[in-house]
Amino acid sequence: MPVAAARRLYLRVHAIAMVFTRPRDPESLPARLDRRRIYVLPTRFGLFYAVALMTMLAGALNYNNNPALLLGLMLAGAGLASLVAAQMQLSDLQLIAADAEPVAAGMPLELRLHARAEPGRTRRGLRLDDDGTSDAGPSVLNLDKGAGDAQLLLPTERRGWFDVPKLRLSTTRPLGLARAWAYVWPETPLLVYPTPEPHGPPLPGGRGESAQARLHPAGDDVHHLRGYRAGDARRAIAWKSSARRDTLMVREFEQPIGSEIVLDWHATSGIAYEGRISRLARWVDEAEREGRRFQLRLPGQTPLGPDRGPSHRHACLRALALMPHV
Amino acid sequence: MSRHAPLPLDARTRAWVLWSTGASLLPLLLQLPPHLAAAIAASAVAVTALSWRRPIPGLLRLLIALVLIAIVLMLSRFSIGRDTGCALLAAMLAVKPAETFTLRDGRSLMGFALFAPFATFLLDQGPVSLVLGLVAVLLVLASLQRMADLESGDVKAVGPRQRLGGVGRLLVVGLPIALAAFWLFPRVASPMWGIPERAMARTGLSDRMSPGDWIDLMSDDTPALRVRFFGATPAPAQMYWRGPVMWDFDGRTWTQPRWRPGQAQASTEPGGVRWDYEMEVEPTDSRQLVALDLPLDAPGGAYLDPDHTLQAFRPLNSISRWRLQSAPPARFDADLPLAERRYALALPAGFNPRTLALAHQWRAQAGAGNDAAIVNRALAWIQRDFAYTLETPLLGRHTVDEFLFEQKAGFCEHFSSSFVVLMRAAGIPARVVTGYTGGYRNPLGDYWLVRRSDAHAWAEVWLRGRGWVRVDPTAAVAPERIYDTLESRSSAGTGFEGVRSFGDVTDWMRRGWNDLVVSFDAQRQERLLSPLGVDRLDWRTLIALLAGAIALGLLWMVWLSRRSERERDPVLRAWHRLGRRYRRFGLERMPSEPASTWVSRVAAARPDLAAELGTLSQHFSDWRYADAQTGERSARALTRALRAHRPPATSPGERR
Repeated sequence: MPVAAARRLYLRVHAIAMVFTRPRDPESLPARLDRRRIYVLPTRFGLFYAVALMTMLAGALNYNNNPALLLGLMLAGAGLASLVAAQMQLSDLQLIAADAEPVAAGMPLELRLHARAEPGRTRRGLRLDDDGTSDAGPSVLNLDKGAGDAQLLLPTERRGWFDVPKLRLSTTRPLGLARAWAYVWPETPLLVYPTPEPHGPPLPGGRGESAQARLHPAGDDVHHLRGYRAGDARRAIAWKSSARRDTLMVREFEQPIGSEIVLDWHATSGIAYEGRISRLARWVDEAEREGRRFQLRLPGQTPLGPDRGPSHRHACLRALALMPHV
Repeated sequence: MSRHAPLPLDARTRAWVLWSTGASLLPLLLQLPPHLAAAIAASAVAVTALSWRRPIPGLLRLLIALVLIAIVLMLSRFSIGRDTGCALLAAMLAVKPAETFTLRDGRSLMGFALFAPFATFLLDQGPVSLVLGLVAVLLVLASLQRMADLESGDVKAVGPRQRLGGVGRLLVVGLPIALAAFWLFPRVASPMWGIPERAMARTGLSDRMSPGDWIDLMSDDTPALRVRFFGATPAPAQMYWRGPVMWDFDGRTWTQPRWRPGQAQASTEPGGVRWDYEMEVEPTDSRQLVALDLPLDAPGGAYLDPDHTLQAFRPLNSISRWRLQSAPPARFDADLPLAERRYALALPAGFNPRTLALAHQWRAQAGAGNDAAIVNRALAWIQRDFAYTLETPLLGRHTVDEFLFEQKAGFCEHFSSSFVVLMRAAGIPARVVTGYTGGYRNPLGDYWLVRRSDAHAWAEVWLRGRGWVRVDPTAAVAPERIYDTLESRSSAGTGFEGVRSFGDVTDWMRRGWNDLVVSFDAQRQERLLSPLGVDRLDWRTLIALLAGAIALGLLWMVWLSRRSERERDPVLRAWHRLGRRYRRFGLERMPSEPASTWVSRVAAARPDLAAELGTLSQHFSDWRYADAQTGERSARALTRALRAHRPPATSPGERR
């Protein structure tokens, strides 16, 4: 069937065009989308429009039907103008930065792309996707008053440095006849933390129960209550007080006693390499959640800590993420 | 490209698409026969209403489509032609909304809807079709824009005016290229394939005439031709635009003979007057041309039949122009060949006995040689006893008898037909001639307009020594009904020379449009640059010119698109301009600089300006960020104040 063949040909050409326009190397942001980086090709509907117009124009020329010819040429002119307009929406767009909060492998990484441009030209509804590298859904970049950002959820698989895929910004506006697109390949280091082990042994360094038992007498004296924050350990919730005040309250200890623990690589022997990293990652998270001071000891590295707080946790997870792959 | 599920159309977008389809359908329907158009319009409305909430099942859809096709074919009596094809297109467009629910459906519907205005132009190239076609195109593009917005995931609530404005902008940006291609793209001199004929005839002169069948034509006020005279202009009573000449009569219908090609033309001897004129002929879909009685020679692209009727080589599908010279004949076919004489005397047997009897009686009274006396007697009788009316009863078998002896009232068809039968019965060769008479002079542009309603039928009788002589029995009864002149139609009686009637202006514009656009063709394209001294443009030059023009057009496109959009808010616009006025001092406001920072920067460099600018900036900030004065009036006052502020080039201190 000719239609199917034409469609295949179109997809082929389109795929080739995409390959040719892809950048070879990543670049450091900020980057400006200049005219040489923006490509415009008709969409499938645009081709249909062109073929339909061509038919009409051929007929009009043959019959010397001037009103039809004029109308057809005006439509063709508007189509061409829409090509230029599509290109204009991307050109001179500046991509300032791309960043993302590190996540555990397996969780989607929320990449934020910040863009800026001279205000005045309408740049809305720009589609941002990862060029089919993964099945991440596209997101929309809207610029208001010359600035805007877009979030793209990228699936992650393994810990370590995350290669930001080639990002594609495209638009089919204003008429849907042509797609203008440009690639950005930000050279932004993004980290993916190891996946924490879902179920595993409790924190080492004193049994969990005794640690709790020791906490209680001390806590009775010094603790005060504060409102629940996401990430607080469940055992820290003061259920009775919570019930009384009708909101979740958490006991806070000024100085949890005896909670300092050592998370040692060598203490996790007996399981696979990646499994050990996962277990340590889980322990790091758990210790941090419980507000305990901990030290992470990895082979061939100086021990991290003992310390606590988000930056310590990130330092530990980063060290775990960057453990060499075997 | 998109691997995701089809994007459904939201209600507003769908409404846009459906309205655009309706707008595209409208001009086409107006050109189709009314019953057909009504049927299609009704089914379009019904289908749209049925499928408004949920889709119509596929089988039902197919059924509706088939029924509609059947209706169209039946109403057009299964004759396939240009108009039938257009009707089928309209029918398909009418059914299509039933399956328009996703973005893809919407786009394909819009793509097909674009064919409708084009189909309209195959049937009619008039101003109404053009305006409606433009409106349809604008709406279709606006729908496409709306769908693209939907696809991009950023549907803002844009008002219809703004949306049409955006689309209009695209059209304007593309216009130079479109116009360049229109004038410069090499045209084909002769069509590569023929245009299908219309299956359903429209009113106009044809090769047959039976008394009473012109009622529709006589009320059709659309133009048939426009004429410009160079030099002498004939008197209205001389304006006989001679068309088909009918020889054959079967008792009811007169028909034009089919002459064999190459048959000898009648010899003519032109009279003293010459009329030199150019006709702009509206499309008729037949090859028949008219010419002022009598054309001296056939213009290029046409030929003369033996009875001096003008035929074009190709059907007149579009507006055509003909430069002609005519002269009233002094002698026209003075020696009639015997075969033609017999032909011009033939009458069907068994019809109109009373007329035959009367003719024999007149012949006996007049004697053998005196044909002119019989003609005059008949004219005198008609003038005395007959009346002009458009309300005529259907005639029975003996049409001429019934008209001459019973009704005694009718219009040109009856008069000419009966007169010719009477003459033939009396032994005088005679034939019916159809065409147009008179015309209306449009003072605007100085040309004559002949309408279809000016259609007329008269007679020619052959008299010894003079040949064929035009005799108009209707003119003997009601000359005012025939010679449609300036006095009878325009408001000349009012005495206001400057006041032109609306019709004058519209027809003049129409003529200009025809002149400039509709009748542009390969020949005129060749002479496009003749005012500049280039006699002939061949296609290579055209292509080169076109390439240059397109390059310029593209530059214009880019320039126009690059010009950043004008700030809509007048206050903001005035504020930005104010900031730019400080550029020459190197104190221009930076795009992201807050007003207060800027003012203090200016104050540091130019203390003399600080007070005034500070006040203005304060007002501006109040207007922009405080809710206090957001009225229309305060905005206008602020705009005025911002516009009025001109920083003097030098501070008063420096001036001294």
